[in-house]
Amino acid sequence: MSNELGSGLVEFESLVKDGAVELQKHIEVGDFDGAIKIIQELSEARHNSFYNEVGFLTRSLHDAIRDFQVDSMDLVSGEGEATTKITDASDRLNYVIETTSAAANKTMDMVDGSVPVASELQIRAKELRKDWGRLIQRDLTPQEFRDLYKRIDVFLAYADESATTLHSNLNTILLEQGYQDLTGQVIARVNDLIRDVEEKLVHLVAVAGRVDSISGIEHQEKESDHDDTRGHGPAINKQNNPEVLNSQDEVDDLLSSLGF
Amino acid sequence: MKILIVDDFSTMRRIIKNLLRDLGFTNTVEADDGTTALPILQAGSIDFLVTDWNMPGMTGIELLRAVRADEKLKTIPVLMVTAEAKRDQIISAAQAGVNGYVVKPFTAVALKEKIEKIFERIDAAK
Repeated sequence: MSNELGSGLVEFESLVKDGAVELQKHIEVGDFDGAIKIIQELSEARHNSFYNEVGFLTRSLHDAIRDFQVDSMDLVSGEGEATTKITDASDRLNYVIETTSAAANKTMDMVDGSVPVASELQIRAKELRKDWGRLIQRDLTPQEFRDLYKRIDVFLAYADESATTLHSNLNTILLEQGYQDLTGQVIARVNDLIRDVEEKLVHLVAVAGRVDSISGIEHQEKESDHDDTRGHGPAINKQNNPEVLNSQDEVDDLLSSLGF
Repeated sequence: MKILIVDDFSTMRRIIKNLLRDLGFTNTVEADDGTTALPILQAGSIDFLVTDWNMPGMTGIELLRAVRADEKLKTIPVLMVTAEAKRDQIISAAQAGVNGYVVKPFTAVALKEKIEKIFERIDAAK
């Protein structure tokens, strides 16, 4: 597209180059009439090329705007409010936030439910083991032995029950990880949409850029220096950014170099 | 020891709360950004502040600066637990007077280490 856009100008540029060589030749031999003729030809070519380019750009710009409008109408209004692509994408991303949050909470519920069970098992096993050791040393009175006998029975029942609870909690945690699949699919779809919109925008920007260069409009670049105070969120592609530290160790090194 | 945990994501607050509980700190309160954290701090009784950086409303770095600028609050130890890992940000947190900086995702060991280090320093300074 950009080649197509530039073809008129490239033609004009080679015409100017050739003309300049010709012009120099005429001036060298003192043929000023010939030289002026070439200057006139170039001036005419410039006008023609300019008008052609403007005409071509007008059509391209018109097409790009029309394409984008059609797509963006589809994006922001769609058929009926609820089905527009942008609102749909934002609903989808909200779904990702909700799903990941629900999965994280469910997982933490299971962990919260399991930690006391594991602790209790550990405490009871330790106590039993102490008395079991005394039994092996033949250090128990008959009464203590009878107690131990009963306690082991209670412990085994508890161990069985606890293992069932832990097993079920671990299974729930495992199943909860399904959020990765669900949210992954949703994010992939939103990504497709973003790529599509980007493509259309790039096209529009390319045409607009040619319009600027033909018409000589200059835009002032906005300073896009992002404020550190507001934060940047988790760094993606850390390895490729020398400004971002890759690990806690690097953070610690930096802080200690600052006297921490 | 009463600890205030400031993070806009409730799951992250819960993770930090659970880790702190494992370390023996059972008395915690929560806030979801600097704006809601400041009144809790100003009400007194908070001994330690754990804060995220990137939050809507008042960010963690702004909260840290506000705490250090407040005559009553300026000695509270502040631990930052955040995904923000730009060199300049860590330097500005250090300049603002942060006591520790943990980058997300973090481990229980890293959190424990930083908290212990902060208390060691405080005890040594006494």
